[in-house]
Amino acid sequence: MAKILVLGAGIAGHTAAAHLRRKLSKEHEILVVSPNRNYQWVPSNIWVGIGRMKPKEVIFPLEPLYKRKGIGYKQAKAVSFHPEGDSSETNPYILVEGVFGEKLGKQEKVTYDYLINATGPKLAFDLTEGLNPGTNKVYSVCTYDHADHASKALHQLINEIKKSDKKVKILIGTGHGKATCQGAAFEYILNVEKELQKFGVRDKAEITWISNEYELGDFGMDGMLMEYNGFNMKSKDMIEMIFEDRGIKWILGAAVNKVEDGLVHYENLDGEFKTETFDFGMLIPAFSGHGFQAYDKTGQNITEKLFKGFMIVDADYTSKPYEDWSVQDWPETYQNPSYKNIFAPGIAFAPPHSISKPRKSKNGTEIFPSPPRTGMPSGITAKLVADNIIDSIKLGKESMHHKGSLGNMGAACIASAGYGLTQGSGVSITTYPIVPDYKKYGETGGRDIKKTFGDIGLAGHWVKLSLHYAFLYKAKMKPFWWLIPE
Amino acid sequence: MQRISISQKRKMQNPFIQFFKFFYLNIRILKIVAGGHGGTR
Repeated sequence: MAKILVLGAGIAGHTAAAHLRRKLSKEHEILVVSPNRNYQWVPSNIWVGIGRMKPKEVIFPLEPLYKRKGIGYKQAKAVSFHPEGDSSETNPYILVEGVFGEKLGKQEKVTYDYLINATGPKLAFDLTEGLNPGTNKVYSVCTYDHADHASKALHQLINEIKKSDKKVKILIGTGHGKATCQGAAFEYILNVEKELQKFGVRDKAEITWISNEYELGDFGMDGMLMEYNGFNMKSKDMIEMIFEDRGIKWILGAAVNKVEDGLVHYENLDGEFKTETFDFGMLIPAFSGHGFQAYDKTGQNITEKLFKGFMIVDADYTSKPYEDWSVQDWPETYQNPSYKNIFAPGIAFAPPHSISKPRKSKNGTEIFPSPPRTGMPSGITAKLVADNIIDSIKLGKESMHHKGSLGNMGAACIASAGYGLTQGSGVSITTYPIVPDYKKYGETGGRDIKKTFGDIGLAGHWVKLSLHYAFLYKAKMKPFWWLIPE
Repeated sequence: MQRISISQKRKMQNPFIQFFKFFYLNIRILKIVAGGHGGTR
């Protein structure tokens, strides 16, 4: 009998737990530890953020589902990692702390045979002064409650300008020099623009995109060359076309370092320190590791064996010049090299380097997007980790046959560009591979042009809406859920 | 600035055209994302 501990119940953790439970007999224990009591389908938070969906439409409680399916669940947060146990506990364990009810603040040791660290990122609002959501007129759509808060503020602003001649400024983008998830901010800016049109106040609002990207359409993936309407187009040109068509301005290469009430301070790549005023802002924070500490059986700190901000996995972390980076540096099995029974799929693994070209301002401030690992790659990497653990348990020896490098994996970004069954729109972009392979696809910007394409239109909205229902169906583990791919 | 022509926008929002595009997009996306993945070394 094996015990598999899954830390986190987001897209990666929940996917791993679901596949493990389906494929392993009940003699094996699967336990999920997460501080969150609800599963949330994060990609639909965009629609919560404009008031087109209620939070309850993007979430469901985890405990009843896990109880029904035979998956253990503790509402707790990880405190420290003990991969060798300690003087009183021979098994490896995680020290966890309850976050709700009677268990609030109580710590306990949770042992495991296999550990899946799917703790995702810490939303590091604290890395940018004044960025805390709901303060200084700045909001977030990173969680359903943040998005709900943003929606209320947006509609309050819309009501104000409807009743007056007041002109307002809306600022949406990234709130840190190394933030990622530009895609979410991109979706949100287009949805906000569409809502302003719907309420007849578009002419009263100046909308500006502010981002740490060097060029529009970078998305933390160094941009892409894609097939669009029969010809090859750079993502930069496509996004520029969309923004110009919708009257959206942009500020690029910006490291936001401070937010005050309706005022954002940023540094650009020229080393200039500038400010921008706004009446409503939505800025994505930096993502960071959770700052977990790890100890060996003697109590000695071994954090550097497990973490490099995020968790160390089978990547090549050797420091080398940008020109020498390659897809081979990226992990394939997400297994920690020091402790072979520990894995980190999804956002929890430490990327070997950025995908976008690293850039510094004249003052030495790093301004470039961190690599995205959200959504689909999270699900795929979680499933392959689960499959390797399942094989290892069934064979009685380590089996790492399932591999999935971001350098050999496709991704689809179906970005909502406005909500509505007949008036909605979506920007659909697929890319293959996620990490550009400049040797294999040297003529097409590191991507397979047959698998990297873009499309704009109502169908994209319908695709995103159908994915919302399909993935919630899958997450709820309803009949034949596993037939829906990650 | 009008960067997307009126006729293009009509095509983008035409439910009849988009109905077929919906299936086309789904199949194309599915082929890419569910078409497998692997290592690089």
